[in-house]
Amino acid sequence: MKIENMSRRRFLKTTAVVGGGVVVGFSLGGCSTSAPLPIDVAEGGFIPNAFLQILPDNTVKFYTARDEMGQGVTTGLSTLLGEELDFDPFKMEILLAGVHEDYNNPGMGVQGTGGSNSIHAHFEPMRQAGANTRALILLAAAQDLGVNRDYLKTKDGHVIFDGQLFPYGRFVQTAAGLKVPENTPLKASSEFHYIGRESGRVDALAKSTGAAVFGIDVDLPGMHYAVVRRSPVPGAKLVGYNRTATESMKGVTQVVEVASGVAVVAESYWQAKKAADQMDIAWEDVPLGRVDSADIRADYELALNSDDGLTGTDEGDLTSGFAVSDQVLEHEYWTPFLSHAPMEPMNAVVDIKEGWADVWSGTQGPGAAQGLVARFAGLDPSKVRVHQTYLGGSFGRRGTLTHIVEATQIALAAGKPIKLIWSREDDLRNGLYRPASLMRVKAGVDRDGKIAAWDAKRVGGNISPDTIKNLLPALFPGLGDTVIDWIGGMADGAFSDWVADPSSTEGLFEDYDHLNTRVTHATVNHGIPLTFWRSVGHSYTAFAKESMIDELAVAGGHDPVGFRINNTENNPRLQNVVRIAGERMKQMTTAQGRHLGLAAHHSFLTDVAEIAEVSVENGQIKVHKVVCVVDCGTAVNPDVVRAQMEGGILFGLTAALHGEHLIEGGAVKESNFHDYPILRMNEAPDIEVVIVESQGKPTGVGEPGLPPIAPAVANAVFRATGERLRSLPLRLKA
Amino acid sequence: MIEFELNGQKVKTDEAPDTPVLWVVRDTFKLMGSKFGCGAGLCGACTMHLDGVAIKTCVLPISAVAGQSLTTIEGLSADGNLHPLQVAWQAYAVPQCGYCQSGQIMSAAALLESNPNPSEADVEAALAGNICRCGCYPRIKKAVLAASESGGLFKNALASEERV
Ligand code: FES
Ligand code: FES
Repeated sequence: MKIENMSRRRFLKTTAVVGGGVVVGFSLGGCSTSAPLPIDVAEGGFIPNAFLQILPDNTVKFYTARDEMGQGVTTGLSTLLGEELDFDPFKMEILLAGVHEDYNNPGMGVQGTGGSNSIHAHFEPMRQAGANTRALILLAAAQDLGVNRDYLKTKDGHVIFDGQLFPYGRFVQTAAGLKVPENTPLKASSEFHYIGRESGRVDALAKSTGAAVFGIDVDLPGMHYAVVRRSPVPGAKLVGYNRTATESMKGVTQVVEVASGVAVVAESYWQAKKAADQMDIAWEDVPLGRVDSADIRADYELALNSDDGLTGTDEGDLTSGFAVSDQVLEHEYWTPFLSHAPMEPMNAVVDIKEGWADVWSGTQGPGAAQGLVARFAGLDPSKVRVHQTYLGGSFGRRGTLTHIVEATQIALAAGKPIKLIWSREDDLRNGLYRPASLMRVKAGVDRDGKIAAWDAKRVGGNISPDTIKNLLPALFPGLGDTVIDWIGGMADGAFSDWVADPSSTEGLFEDYDHLNTRVTHATVNHGIPLTFWRSVGHSYTAFAKESMIDELAVAGGHDPVGFRINNTENNPRLQNVVRIAGERMKQMTTAQGRHLGLAAHHSFLTDVAEIAEVSVENGQIKVHKVVCVVDCGTAVNPDVVRAQMEGGILFGLTAALHGEHLIEGGAVKESNFHDYPILRMNEAPDIEVVIVESQGKPTGVGEPGLPPIAPAVANAVFRATGERLRSLPLRLKA
Repeated sequence: MIEFELNGQKVKTDEAPDTPVLWVVRDTFKLMGSKFGCGAGLCGACTMHLDGVAIKTCVLPISAVAGQSLTTIEGLSADGNLHPLQVAWQAYAVPQCGYCQSGQIMSAAALLESNPNPSEADVEAALAGNICRCGCYPRIKKAVLAASESGGLFKNALASEERV
């Protein structure tokens, strides 16, 4: 059995089910059917469903229900709807939706974005919304023109009758009085006009002129700025600070204690920042304060080498599998804690007045933002208006909204609109992290080159309990802190003692045909806050799995392409991308001193194979070129697919070559881009993306480009140097 | 009171002299196109032109621009038409999240001003200070070269790569 998308999607579904009616009650203030849509209706504007407003002048406004963090979802969803509405998405006015039940993610049951599921989950619903609206317009046109509907056609926002073009907008008044048809038949893929078309991005102009609005750009009259000081050691409470001196600093209007630390409110950001920086703060002494990276690693080693752990998967019989193996290898792989480091640091604007609260922030969970503001402002969720903005990157980070809690607490105490801005130092040192992992794989290959046994173990923290703790207060604003703490504690215990967290081991074993498989998981948690990070568990499991596959191929004298093909008979789509990559490899002429490495991985329903062309000079690894073969079903916007593969590969290369957080005295050591470097242009390889032609349902693209790149580079480094690097970031010994 | 020129207009401010230019431009003059990414001169999100030279403004005190001329992304194309880079940015669908792009374009514009026909290495050197976490570098590079004097901006902009 394959485990698909076991991380966020599965988890959030469970949450929604657990929540039952309460989730609905939360997001709609208890009255699900009558809650008005958060849409400003223009003069004569017609709203056939939550995603559209059509004006008499034929303006079509598209309300994007998913959050645009760069992955191109505004382009993708407007393309899906435009295809069936028969309206060019590039002529639509694209808006970001507020919070409403109709905007819930069909793959999650709540209003959030993640798990690379947006196009997959909306492939039918968004086209259906477009098709039903087009059918309605045709009904209205037939009535207005006094002709039979069968004589009418449409073309790009116009009804055609007898060679004459009538804009849709001409019929909206009549359409408003008719019932919207349901279940209108959808086009066959052979009829697609906008889907699959080479086009740019609907947001490219706004993002090339400085006009695109991010949370940090929101500006309200009378707004003050807030900067928060938080404990460098997660979980340590505030003990004391120089309040009076801080209050007397120029521009400072308030000093506010919040759950996470102390906030300074001032007339300008710079005043707030200077006052916050000079604060002399004592924090509680907590056990984590005595933990260094070396301790964490040692504890992981201990757990790896003990019998500790929960068995996640146990299929076939390992003993007999190893008995028939000609080659048996056993190796350990290490991956460190990482930050998301989106270019826009966390921020939020909150305004609470007259029984209402408004919040502006770019998040992956506008529904959760509404719940959190309601909870901490003491309001009913129906009294909280969420204004979604573009996200200046996220990669999982903007799914956790402690900055919204902070801004709400500060705005409430200050009695004025507040813009809270985190610094880069806050982002790196007070964030949530991709968990560190120590993995061991023992694998055997029989004389036919078939993997006969695969015994894998992963040690580290789990993201699901932290996710539950972060979501509970948002999903259940009425629930008390004690209950939430209790459930949070239960979640910690459940995933360490009872059932292995699927997102901790996803991708460690599923891709190949080894019938005798065991996957064990031991939880070791020191209290470093964890969350999902682009491609979640796959971001580290693929490194262990694809490095081991390469080691097995080399040890047995097999060609790495053929070895993978021979062991993916149960995975024809993965096998196909490997086969195509293999053909590309044969055609690649590598210059003197350059070497190729291959890796392949299935994640978020998508199959990707990547070839890295690498040289090593003076101990420096340089990646010159990457070829990426991807099968993501129908490529709704092929150029967006390419961009996401490029982005995933370069994000993964930062992790492969640079990314590492060290823990010193319980605190994250790195503080800005000088010691937490991000790949720069001169380090970025040329990338060629090959999209496999497919009529299948679209699958994820935001994350699947990432997992194969680190092992592809490591495998190339082995060919260049003979040295096997089993730790990230990749560092040569010499 | 510090006086300077902002996108061709004479302006003055009484913000504290040590306030970084970035915050004065954003919060006093409400030009939000320039971004805050690191506050330490390490990422380039805040890049503007000071008398035509690309400069990181998150670490530049406002006192340092007295009497000088500052240009932001909003003032890049004085005639109101898009700068060739902005056209190229769309043609190559460069932006992802978009947050770094004002800074990228300002660095690239300063490069093309002083070197209308840069090599690939010139582009890499000029943009080395601009981080893009979304990984738009290959497209940024292509778009800058396309917008250069001999770049042939509109030729094969959206190269349709092979599909099998
Ligand atoms: S914000 Fe100025 S260089 Fe990063
Ligand atoms: S486009 Fe997101 S950081 Fe560059």
